[in-house]
Amino acid sequence: MRQELRDALDIAWDALGAAGVWWTGAERVKIVAETRAARACDLCQARKAALSPAAIPGRHTGATDLSEAAIEAVHRIVTDPGRLSEAWYKRLGASGLSDEAYVELLSVVAITTAADTYDRAAGNSQRDTPVPREGLPSRRRPTGAKPGLGWMPMLAPEDVTPDDPPLYEAGGRIGGNVHRALSLVPEAMMQFWHMFETMYLPQHAMRDFAREYRAISHAQIEMLAARVAVQNQCVY
Amino acid sequence: MAGEGGSGVPHEAELLAFADAAITAGAGLAKVRQLVVGRMGDDAMHDAAAVIAGFDAITRVADGSGIPLEAQKAEATAEWRDRLGIDAFWTMKV
Repeated sequence: MRQELRDALDIAWDALGAAGVWWTGAERVKIVAETRAARACDLCQARKAALSPAAIPGRHTGATDLSEAAIEAVHRIVTDPGRLSEAWYKRLGASGLSDEAYVELLSVVAITTAADTYDRAAGNSQRDTPVPREGLPSRRRPTGAKPGLGWMPMLAPEDVTPDDPPLYEAGGRIGGNVHRALSLVPEAMMQFWHMFETMYLPQHAMRDFAREYRAISHAQIEMLAARVAVQNQCVY
Repeated sequence: MAGEGGSGVPHEAELLAFADAAITAGAGLAKVRQLVVGRMGDDAMHDAAAVIAGFDAITRVADGSGIPLEAQKAEATAEWRDRLGIDAFWTMKV
């Protein structure tokens, strides 16, 4: 196992216990717990099997005291990501989950999913839940974030100000739509992408076909990526 | 899902079976992991596991944020997205 991969996963996992921008460390750890609990939720299983998830009422089998909107967000992202919609997202907002809180929640779910899937695939034990640490969320929203691309406002590379973290500059990220997805919370975006680029490939290596950067080839990497995207019914 | 698509990518069958078992937490995961280690080595298994896990996460970021496919990517991939039925995924969003 590459040391940089081990380090990237450990750093991302440890950071889940620290205060974020919109959630405390304790709340972020609850999102981790809820991510893990979602796979055993009876309501999620019934909805996953239904022609329309909205047709199945009920309550999630939650593991925490997070709000119902937060639990709904976590469970659907985990168990049925391919059928999420803007109408669903707007219902979360109407239930009190802000754009900013949702984006950070999405990053925590994604990091938890990445670590747990990696450990499962590699035959490792599931990691212990991160230890929550003291601290208050900074609650800083990038002033240049604008609506229009996805369901929530996003920060384009040309709208980054000197007060924002270097979310695109770090890693030489080109600012593709998938880079922008978490950009409303730049710190969350950077935590996810630092880990993800170590698991996949950094920007400069993606199309450098003259060299292989991993123990599997570019072709093998892209084939695996495509297979997982189909398994998760991802249209992007 | 069939494990062999004739892509010509080396170790296609083992890698696809590994991805499927890892994503679905299938009962055969340990066996297929050993198959990958035996035929490709431990480092390859870890790097394959990392790609599978990374994309298990980033697909959720993409689908959970409502980002569209970039116009140039949509144009470049229109034919094979239609052939593979990927565009039908849009109709399942409710």
